[in-house]
Amino acid sequence: MEYNFKREARKQYFRYFRIWFIGLAILAVVCGVLGVMRFLESRRGRTNNEAPAERVYDYADVLTDAEEEQLRRYIAEKEEALRIDIVLVTVNQSVEGAEAKEQYGYRSVTWEDNMQDLADDFWDDNKYGYNKGFNGDGILLLHNWYEGQNGEQLSASGKVEETLSIYDLHTVLYAVDDYYETDPCRAYLAYVDTVEELMIRNGTRKFEGGLGVFIVPLIAALIYAAVHLIQRPAKNTTAVNAYVQGGQPEMHRRSDDFIRKSVTSRRIQTSSSSGSSRGGGSGGGGGHHVSRSGASHSGVSHRH
Amino acid sequence: MFFRCKNCGGNVVYSPERHKMFCPYCESEQREERAEGDNNAEMTICPNCGGEVKVGAHTSATRCAYCDSYLIFNERVEGQYAPRMIIPFQLGKETCKKSIREKFKKCLFAPVDFLSEVRLDSMEGIYVPYWFFGYDVRCVFQGEGTKLRTWRSDDKEYTETSYYAVNRDMSIRFRNIPVDASEAMPDDVMELVAPFDYGQLEAFKPEYMSGFYSEKYNMAPGVVEGRAKKRVDEDTGKLMRENIAGYHSVRTIRQDIQTGNSEVSYGLLPVWKYIYHYRDKEYPFYVNGQTGKIVGTAPISRGRVWLYAGTLWACLTAGFLMVGLLVMLL
Repeated sequence: MEYNFKREARKQYFRYFRIWFIGLAILAVVCGVLGVMRFLESRRGRTNNEAPAERVYDYADVLTDAEEEQLRRYIAEKEEALRIDIVLVTVNQSVEGAEAKEQYGYRSVTWEDNMQDLADDFWDDNKYGYNKGFNGDGILLLHNWYEGQNGEQLSASGKVEETLSIYDLHTVLYAVDDYYETDPCRAYLAYVDTVEELMIRNGTRKFEGGLGVFIVPLIAALIYAAVHLIQRPAKNTTAVNAYVQGGQPEMHRRSDDFIRKSVTSRRIQTSSSSGSSRGGGSGGGGGHHVSRSGASHSGVSHRH
Repeated sequence: MFFRCKNCGGNVVYSPERHKMFCPYCESEQREERAEGDNNAEMTICPNCGGEVKVGAHTSATRCAYCDSYLIFNERVEGQYAPRMIIPFQLGKETCKKSIREKFKKCLFAPVDFLSEVRLDSMEGIYVPYWFFGYDVRCVFQGEGTKLRTWRSDDKEYTETSYYAVNRDMSIRFRNIPVDASEAMPDDVMELVAPFDYGQLEAFKPEYMSGFYSEKYNMAPGVVEGRAKKRVDEDTGKLMRENIAGYHSVRTIRQDIQTGNSEVSYGLLPVWKYIYHYRDKEYPFYVNGQTGKIVGTAPISRGRVWLYAGTLWACLTAGFLMVGLLVMLL
C-alpha cells in the first residue's frame, strides 16, 4: 500500500510538471542542435574560391616587402580565426575634383564618394568574401596617400557589415590614424587587430541575466509555495432568509415619501492642453549603402 | 436496541442511497425487526453479541467493536431525549469519499495517503443533536434616505439631492435556526456545515440511526440560545437593509426590533466526520450528510511543498539559462 502511495505521488508529480519537463527537453534539444550546427560551421573551411589569394595591395608603395609579407601572414592568421576576408589596399591617386573625375571616370567630384566607390568596387570586382563572392563576409581598408587627399575608407560586407556599427568602423580608422604617419605597417596591423577585437566583442552574444537567473525563479517559487500553502476556509453559505418562514419578511408598512430636494452646482475645471513642439534633429549620416554592383556595404572614411 | 435482519439475522442499517433499511450481509431490503437489548444503566453490553461496548456519557448510537452491530440506546432517544425531527442521511459514505477526493485532489501538498481508501474508510456518519429555535420578530424602521442625480451643462456640474422619508414595518418569522447541542462538536464548524434543506425533515424514527453514530443533546437550550439570537439579530439587520435598498445614503431616525414568541425543538442532523492524523495532529473534516458541503483544512506536507517549489525553481532557472544559451547560439 505504501508503495502505491509513493508511486501515485510520483505520477502526480510528473503529471504536474510534464509541460515544464517537455518544454525544457525541447529547449535542450534545440540548443543541442544549434550547438552542433555552430560547431560544424566553425569546422567548415573557406567556401569562396573565386577571390584572389592576395590580401595586401600596396599600390602606394608605403610598405617594405618584409612588412607586406608580415601583414599577409598576420591577415591569413586572423582570417582563419574570424572566418572573414581582411583586405588592405593603398593607393596614391587623386580622387577629387573634375579633373580626376574625367581622368579616372569617377561618378563624382567629391573625395568621399570616390573613395567609397573605389573601395566597394575593389571588393566587388575581386569577389572577396570568406563565404561567397557577393555580399560575402569581410572588410577592406583603402588608404589613399595622394598628397592633399590623404585618408582612409573602410568597406565592410556580409557579417562584418552586420556586426560592426558605424561607430565601430570609425574606431578601426582611429586605430589606423594613430600610426599611419609614423609607421604605416603598424597602422595596418592595428587595423587588423581592431577589426578582430570588435568582431569578437560584438559577435559573441552574452547572456546578461546575472544573478537574476536564479533570484527571479526563486521569488516565483516562493510565491507559488505561499499561494498553495494558503487554504481558503469554508464560507458560511447560509442565505440570509434561510430560516425565514416563507423566505420573506411580512411587510406591514413600506413607504418612501418624497420630502424635498436641493440642487448644488460646481464649475468643472478643465485642464488646458499645452502644446508641445518636437525639436527636429538631423540624423547622422547612414553608413550603409549599395555598391554599383548591387552588393551591400557599410563604410566610413577619414580624411586627413 | 438494534435492528436485526429477518432474513439472515445480521444487523440492518439505514441506507442513504436506497432511502430504506438494508441488510449489508444478505442485501435484503426492509426486512428488519426491532430487537431490544439488555440496556442496563451503564449500557455497556452489546445486545447482539454480549461484548462490552464502550459508551460515551452522551452517546445515543454507536457500533459494537466485536460484531459491528449498530446499537441505539433507548434511554437516550426517548422521553426527554426524544428528537422531534431528523434529516436522515442522504449521502452515503462512498459519495462523501468521492466528494472529499474531488475537493482535495488539487491539494498538491497534502500527504500522499490523505485521500487513500484506508484513511477515508475511517469516516463516520454522525447524527449531531441540534436545538432548533424559532422567533417572531417585529422590526420598525424610520429613516431619511437620499437619492442623487447629476448632470452637466456647459462648464457646470449640477447635483440634485432628493430626500425621502423611509418607513418600514415588518414581521419576520424565524423558524428552525439550528444550533448544535453537542459539546464535542466545534460550534464554528457546525455553523459552516449548514445549511440543511428542511424539506427533508422527518419525524424521528430510530431506524434512521442504525448504521450511524449519535449523541443525545448535552447542552441545554438556554446555554446555546445566544448563538441563535445572534443569528436573528444579524439576519434581521440584513433583511432590513435589503428592504431599504436603492438610496445613496440612509440616515436612521428610529429602529425598533422586538423579539416576540419563541419556540425550541430538538432534532438530529446528519454529518460525516473524517479525522486525518498527521504528525501528531488531528485534521477533522465534516461533510454535510445531506448536501455534501465539506468543512475542513487539508494538512500540508512540507516535504512536498519544498519538492514542488524546488522543481519550479529548477525548471525556471534551467529555462532562463537555456533561453540565454539559445540567444547566444542564434
